[in-house]
Amino acid sequence: MNHTATVKPALPNSLSLVAVTVVGLLCLPLAYVTHMALTADAAIWSRLWTTRIPELLFNTTALALGVAAGTLLLGVSLAWLVSRREFPGRRIWEWALVLPLAIPTYVLAYIYSHLLGAGGPVESAWQMLAGPDGHLPSPHSYAGVTLVMTLDTFPFVYLLTRAAFLNLNVSYEEVARACGASRTGTLFRIMLPLMRPAIVAGLSLVVLYVVSDFGAVSLLRYQTLTYAVYQQITGRYDPTAASILSLLLVVVALIFLVAERWFRQQSRFFQTTGRYRAPARRPCSPLGTALATIYTIGVFAASFGIPALLLIQWSLSAIASGAVDVRFFGFVWNSAFLSSLAATVAVLIGLPLAYLASRRPSRLNLLCLQAAYAGYVLPGPVGALALLAIVSHLAPFWYGTAAVLVIAYVVHFLPAGLQSMEPALQQVTPNLEEASRSLGFGTAATLRHVTLPLVRDGFIAAWVLMFLQSMKELPATLLLRPVGFDTLAVRVWLEASEEYYQLAAPSALLIVIMTIPAILLLLSKDWRAA
Amino acid sequence: MPSHEPNQRSTNSSHDQHRPTVLELRHVSCVYGADRPAITDISFVAHEGEIVCLLGPSGCGKTTTLRAIAGFEPVTAGEIRLEGRLVSAPGDLVPTEQRRIGMVFQEYALFPHLRVQDNVAFGLQHLSAGERATQVRVMLEMVGLTDLAARYPHELSGGQQQRVALARALVQKPAVLLLDEPFSNLDPDMAGRMREDLHDLLRRTKTTAVLVTHDHDEAFAMADRIAVLNNGKLEQLDTPEAVYHTPSTPFVADFVGQADFIPGTIENGTVETEIGQFPNQAGYRSGAQVVVMIRPDDIHIVPAAKSFAHIVARQFHGSENLYTIGLPSGRVVHSSEPSTTVHPVGTPVELQVNATHTVLFDRNTHL
Repeated sequence: MNHTATVKPALPNSLSLVAVTVVGLLCLPLAYVTHMALTADAAIWSRLWTTRIPELLFNTTALALGVAAGTLLLGVSLAWLVSRREFPGRRIWEWALVLPLAIPTYVLAYIYSHLLGAGGPVESAWQMLAGPDGHLPSPHSYAGVTLVMTLDTFPFVYLLTRAAFLNLNVSYEEVARACGASRTGTLFRIMLPLMRPAIVAGLSLVVLYVVSDFGAVSLLRYQTLTYAVYQQITGRYDPTAASILSLLLVVVALIFLVAERWFRQQSRFFQTTGRYRAPARRPCSPLGTALATIYTIGVFAASFGIPALLLIQWSLSAIASGAVDVRFFGFVWNSAFLSSLAATVAVLIGLPLAYLASRRPSRLNLLCLQAAYAGYVLPGPVGALALLAIVSHLAPFWYGTAAVLVIAYVVHFLPAGLQSMEPALQQVTPNLEEASRSLGFGTAATLRHVTLPLVRDGFIAAWVLMFLQSMKELPATLLLRPVGFDTLAVRVWLEASEEYYQLAAPSALLIVIMTIPAILLLLSKDWRAA
Repeated sequence: MPSHEPNQRSTNSSHDQHRPTVLELRHVSCVYGADRPAITDISFVAHEGEIVCLLGPSGCGKTTTLRAIAGFEPVTAGEIRLEGRLVSAPGDLVPTEQRRIGMVFQEYALFPHLRVQDNVAFGLQHLSAGERATQVRVMLEMVGLTDLAARYPHELSGGQQQRVALARALVQKPAVLLLDEPFSNLDPDMAGRMREDLHDLLRRTKTTAVLVTHDHDEAFAMADRIAVLNNGKLEQLDTPEAVYHTPSTPFVADFVGQADFIPGTIENGTVETEIGQFPNQAGYRSGAQVVVMIRPDDIHIVPAAKSFAHIVARQFHGSENLYTIGLPSGRVVHSSEPSTTVHPVGTPVELQVNATHTVLFDRNTHL
């Protein structure tokens, strides 16, 4: 420990070295995929350009736009309803509407494939009205995937828009009214333009989610880039073609990310200033109450209520038929073991990165942090593909071990964890650490007695987040798991692919139940009940 | 001089009486939950071109009154009329946008996504584009912001932002302009200049205005008449001079400036106090217990070796010296002396009180 006059920490260089190494490892998969794609035979490129790529690009973009439009409509209208109108049950719906986030896309997809499928309950009900020849569009279609993804991701838009509605300075509305604008005019000319950054942030989360989703599109058999990458690896074992499609996918994701960044820069002045006053919620008329209740309950039931009830019902009958056995608990153990390992490794790796970037923001350290976010644009199958290729080239004896899977999780989910760890560290002002140093504590003692206790909550949140995402992860697990080493997510997908809906239910239900408290925990941090 | 009863409504600024009434509050009350100050039985009128200040401490209901006029708060009793039209009554509320009011908020609330010119043009949607541009240009000229028309709000200083907010409100030619603590976000220097500019602008545009403030200097400088509010009640409505010199309650006396309250008793038709005799202006009966309100500028001190009072403290205020004088009873009074008159602390002094400026209150009902 350092009790001498010097105040300079003793370990900056070694810490930076660690950070650079970690970031190098994190970026390796992305670099490898790019390398494979760019060195591929021109014939493969032209074959793909003429056959698959136009269709895949169109499908992916169409799905992203469709879901963006759907979530925009649902998210903004619901956010407006719960933050500006008062009706019985409003408080309950306000938080219940985030619950769909707890259902992974592959679970919702398989439930809708049952609900809307041929001979399913919805079609049966429709045939009672329209006669036995009445048929509905199949869920295995553009419309079906768009519906499922919209219901699953609208809470992103809802949450950010709701926060924006609550944080918006009420004076803007009042002054607009004083200038003669009606309520509707105020909403469209003032409030929505002011909230555009929040809405766009929500939409960009949705789009990234959709573009990199594998679960729903694979179960509903809708050809997107992500699904095609997976098929190229498993069906044809063609890693070169897969890497080309992967590169394309990365570029698409990057375009969205850059566009969102650019938009945020453009609208930096959209800051709301002044004192905070809670907005008044206007009570609804009886008719308005009825409409608001029907709308909220409808969205909630479709996105969470009915799926959850179905899962419970199926799980009960699966338990009754003895499907929850020793093997099932084996899957639970596999999931929990892998996920906690991955989350722990990610927190340990993320700590020096976040610390250096917030404490010593040199160009190198900031670059390291930015580079760690590379995993964001690396959808599950792509990361898995890269790791497969790297491991089979460099360390074949590692192939098919759980270690590779843990690395895949860390690369993929560290960005999400960093987003929780970095602000936690930034909240601790350097003054606190300097005060501790001035009181005779060394670097290590300061870290232990001052910094760590203060950032603990942020780091726990990061751990929980990464644990849950690893737990739900599907494509990389499918591709990289050791033989016979199934997780809960894999079981859901395998059973659902074979349409064994009841057998898939216990695993799916367990994932949902474990996710709910974590979502509520993460929300409670910035949930302002105005 | 006649004494003033509490709550008495005075319209003694005679030049207002033959101007049309623009705004009228009749026995207005607003009652809500615990978080918003209520107001009870507020009545006043504002004539055309008049500036009325609502003055009071925080939580006294002055902002609630303003928001009730704007139509943001429903009234639970009484009624509000704008240009003769009933706009607020219990269960009956004309929406803000149909009231022809202009409003300037404490934090200005300039729309951050609109340029200065578009902020000012916001309320002119009903006009043609050409007409709109003309009015915006004229208005910006009037507030001296022509050069900044294409800027965004965050590119302006506090004073400039305030002028944009004013322009945005005035360009609609509102029946009444409502201002909520418009100077509190400016530094004192700037606030002083903006006060003069605003007063001048309101006079030139002949705008009727209601201004909310907690600063009595601001109210004195701006207002034709001041309504002093406390605990949701109107304590006094009068010209600034009358509010200062003949406050109707001890609260008003204390709130609008430094005041000392000396207890006294009516004996032989005069008020007997520790510091001398005062005329019984209000005609209290013999033996009544009263207090005398005296302002520091009505007490003059002269050093006198054998006096019973002495200087306890001196505060230098630049243009004046404010002395605190200890009396034998332990009570203190204050005296304002010219800035060059300096006596050391401890000096025995004699008090000379200007008796025509004192105000009497009944000790039993007021204190």
